[in-house]
Amino acid sequence: MAADSAHRDAAPPPRNEASHTRRIASWREHHGWSAGASLRRLAARPLGSLLTIAVMGLALALPLAFYLLLGNVQQLGHALGQDQAINVFLQPDQAASQAQLLAKQLGDRSDVAAVTIKTPQQGLDELAKLQGFSGALDALDQNPLPFVLMVQPKPGADAAAVARLVGDLRDMHSVAQVQDSGTWRQRLDALLGVGERVVAALALMLALAALLVVGNSVRMDIASRHEEIGVLLLVGASSAFVRRPYLYAGIWYGLFSGILAALLALAIEFALSGPVAQLSQAYDGKLHLGGLPLWLLLAVPPAAAALGWLGARLVSAWQLRKAV
Amino acid sequence: MIQFEQVSKHYAGGHEALSQLSFTIPTGEMAFVTGHSGAGKSTLLKLLGVIERPSHGSITVDGQNLAKVRGRGIPRLRQRIGMVFQDHRLLMDRTVFANVELPLTIAGIARVERGRRVRAALEKVGLLSYERQLPATLSTGEQQRVGIARAIVARPSLLIADEPTGNLDPQLAVEIMGLFAEFQQVGTTVLIASHDLPLIKRMRKRVVVLDHGRLVADLAAEEVL
Repeated sequence: MAADSAHRDAAPPPRNEASHTRRIASWREHHGWSAGASLRRLAARPLGSLLTIAVMGLALALPLAFYLLLGNVQQLGHALGQDQAINVFLQPDQAASQAQLLAKQLGDRSDVAAVTIKTPQQGLDELAKLQGFSGALDALDQNPLPFVLMVQPKPGADAAAVARLVGDLRDMHSVAQVQDSGTWRQRLDALLGVGERVVAALALMLALAALLVVGNSVRMDIASRHEEIGVLLLVGASSAFVRRPYLYAGIWYGLFSGILAALLALAIEFALSGPVAQLSQAYDGKLHLGGLPLWLLLAVPPAAAALGWLGARLVSAWQLRKAV
Repeated sequence: MIQFEQVSKHYAGGHEALSQLSFTIPTGEMAFVTGHSGAGKSTLLKLLGVIERPSHGSITVDGQNLAKVRGRGIPRLRQRIGMVFQDHRLLMDRTVFANVELPLTIAGIARVERGRRVRAALEKVGLLSYERQLPATLSTGEQQRVGIARAIVARPSLLIADEPTGNLDPQLAVEIMGLFAEFQQVGTTVLIASHDLPLIKRMRKRVVVLDHGRLVADLAAEEVL
């Protein structure tokens, strides 16, 4: 009786009994199994897995470090730019009331943060403090210095906006001369533009390198399991079924290396925090250099996992084409 | 039903493994394909499993022309065919249970049902008590029976076996063939490639004889002496 029952269970019809719901449950179950099995395979050869993760992690940490550097150079540029006010020398015949009126007009502009008036006497006093000038100033009958307006552009204004402001100032009748150190700001902006491109190109190349690292690890994994893959295909497994554990391996590689990259970036940030604090002190606390944004740090592991998946997907598709 | 019509298979270099082979095996029949080494027995089974494609002619299995089976159709077809190999092709890092379970997992059968069917298949081949063991701890004959359990667990309509008793002693070989005969009795079409003539004679089933890729004899069960 038991044998008959076993026979019925073991042999032929009916077929197509797995309902849609059962298939989905089984599909999910296989995803769970694949995720666990691929993780166990990674753990089974710790050295190889750690090396792959370390290489990927470093490759992903480098663009983050450059991004951090570039962001801080940008901030440094803006902070230093705040000290680089535009000096507007008024015509010598301009009286204090006219200087104040002009300062108010300029202060109302949207591209100006602040205007400070330096009187001729203040200018003279500053000159007197400079070595070698005191004797020469004594010989003057009267103060030859004009009123000077120190115009501070709005923080964050780019080189083009500052150049427009300087042009407007030069066109004013009451202005004798405009002294602007905007050229260095222009150069800095240009350099930062180049830096941004370099970081983007570097990030792309290193992401490609990470993709290749995952791809190679998965390729070796597939090669070492060539026989198993052959058996799976012979008993009716689809390519997706066979590929699944390798895709999860790619995801794990990516995820762990992404976490490592974020930790490395944080370590770099921490290592820089001391010198940055000193630099900030040297500028009377005006410098506020920032770290990597939280969203970026949180985005790195999933993005790296997606990269790992992509690498595994490309390689496994290519490798499985050669299988039975 | 299996139908070969004028099937030829040429390999690169001009070697002709099969030449204009035509025969039909009705549903639920058990047949042997025999011949000397290189006669084309394994090639014939590979064509049935879509492991290889014919150079000419057509092969039909249960009304489905294998030439038209492409892409996702191949795994679906293989799920309907149970395959037994001389070298067992077991996954040595998985237990006996997991090996037999594989076709059911692939077919999307629920876990409870899988467990029931795997145990039934293992009971059928007399290996229920070995379910937690790794294949490497089993004898060659036991490993072959695991391979058979895996081939029948998904209730295939067609069971093909390539030299399934090649490495077994005569008594075990008879037992294994007895198992195949039982599957035939419940409606499965069984096709076995074997060069073990004494065993084939003993089974008294239809025999297709190949020589250098050509069909030289097609003997009905009663014609086998």
